[in-house]
Amino acid sequence: MVENIFTSIAGSLRSVIDAAGAPLLLNDISVVLLKVVAILVYILVSALWLVYMERKICAYIQARIGPNRVGPMGLLQTAADIGKLIAKEIIIPRAADKVVFLLMPVLIFVPVLLLFAVVPFGKDMIAVDLNIGLFYFFSIASLSTIIFWAGGWASANKYALIGSMRAVSQMLSYEIPMILALLGVVMMTGSMKMSEIVNAQQHIWFVFTQPLAFIIYVIAATAETNRTPFDLLEGESEIIAGPFTEYGGMTFAMWFLAEYGNVVLVSALATTAFLGGWLAPFGWTFIPSWVWFFLKLYLMIYVLMWFRWTYPRIRVDQLMNFGWKVLVPLTLANIFVTGVGMYIYRAIGW
Amino acid sequence: MFGQGLIKGLAITLQELFTKKVTVQYPEQRCYIAPRFHGEFTFEESKCIICGMCVNACPNKVIEIESEKADKKKLLTGYKMNIQYCLFCGLCVESCPRDAIHFSQNFEMAKYHSKSIPLIMVNKTPEQIAEEKARIIAEAAKAAEARAKAEAATGAAKPEARGDAKKEPPKAGAKPAGGKSDRTEG
Repeated sequence: MVENIFTSIAGSLRSVIDAAGAPLLLNDISVVLLKVVAILVYILVSALWLVYMERKICAYIQARIGPNRVGPMGLLQTAADIGKLIAKEIIIPRAADKVVFLLMPVLIFVPVLLLFAVVPFGKDMIAVDLNIGLFYFFSIASLSTIIFWAGGWASANKYALIGSMRAVSQMLSYEIPMILALLGVVMMTGSMKMSEIVNAQQHIWFVFTQPLAFIIYVIAATAETNRTPFDLLEGESEIIAGPFTEYGGMTFAMWFLAEYGNVVLVSALATTAFLGGWLAPFGWTFIPSWVWFFLKLYLMIYVLMWFRWTYPRIRVDQLMNFGWKVLVPLTLANIFVTGVGMYIYRAIGW
Repeated sequence: MFGQGLIKGLAITLQELFTKKVTVQYPEQRCYIAPRFHGEFTFEESKCIICGMCVNACPNKVIEIESEKADKKKLLTGYKMNIQYCLFCGLCVESCPRDAIHFSQNFEMAKYHSKSIPLIMVNKTPEQIAEEKARIIAEAAKAAEARAKAEAATGAAKPEARGDAKKEPPKAGAKPAGGKSDRTEG
């Protein structure tokens, strides 16, 4: 019952509309709308929660308590922050490209929302189970690069421009090892469909068969979401806030919340591709599949936050060297070893 | 091995995640404050002899004293500390010969308006001043009367006794000062 709570909600909506005698098109549209609303609500709530979680983890690592005044345990702290940011004036620099400047913080949420369509939240809980799910994921994810860049460019600010240039170089460089790392998974699954990737891990999670790919994926994902130790584009001690320098109030909050949306996405992909998605370990199926998914998801997010509060920022040349001279060759070697290994396994007949 | 330091760092932060938190929840909990903490000043008007030592000792001219003459005595009519200039060196506290000025442990001296920053220890209205002046003059007259009576009783026999009697009035005058401070505080 708990297992199918979300699928049964969608199913009952479908049957209610069916019973009302509405055409099939309306039925489909309403179910899609339900999914979109559910995902939107999830993105916003999780962004609020993750800001709180980030601050709590940061505080605990630094032997502090963190936010604990607004609401029980400080849970309403982020809601209060957002309320304050909404109340603030949006200042537009005189030299800025007004339309692009205001459009980009809105557009940054588009790839995030689009990507959630292929995230398998649980068994049969994928909004759209594309047969090119992984490919779709990467092609849409790389869109956010140009939005960062346009936002920084439109600000007409030196720091914003430097930051956005860094965003482009960093996100493009690290997308390559990220994709190549996941190629190993695709080779073993033989499919890019998210549900098939999860089902291929019935016996053993890919984190055990592809440990190198997992490590490289996590490193590249940290760089993709622009978080410490790869937060060069923000780099507050060097370039103020990078592309977000001129953004204030709610426009800044949009960038900020989109960052957390991206954190959820890369963690969700790590969960799907390496940690067995919604599959229960040790056969503990009494816990619903979506609970398992969220447990693994937040574990991955915790790891990313753990990185953030442990490591210092690295230099630009180190970032590029590491990406191109270490991660890319390693992923290529991983693909080669995976290919050879699969061939040998097949030859043995396992 | 490459990357050993990274793992070590993660281990340390993970350990710190579970350590006892050191935050003091300020308005409810408070840190220990040393007994000789240099906090807000307290002033005991009854002890003050208006010598002006604190005014002279202050390097920043923080303290302003106002006084008036009543009979032969000085009457404190105003004691103000412009605390915004104070560097809490404690020279005024050290210099006071009667221990009238002290540090307290109160460090929450932030004020909403800048005009409410100066610490006003004594600020008497003209009526209060007139009243106290009258009282001191009356007391002095009473003391003089008592002295004259005592002199008459002893018969003014010895010249040394006169010297003793002359020394007495300041002592008698110091005592009413205690009563005076009670009145102003009330």
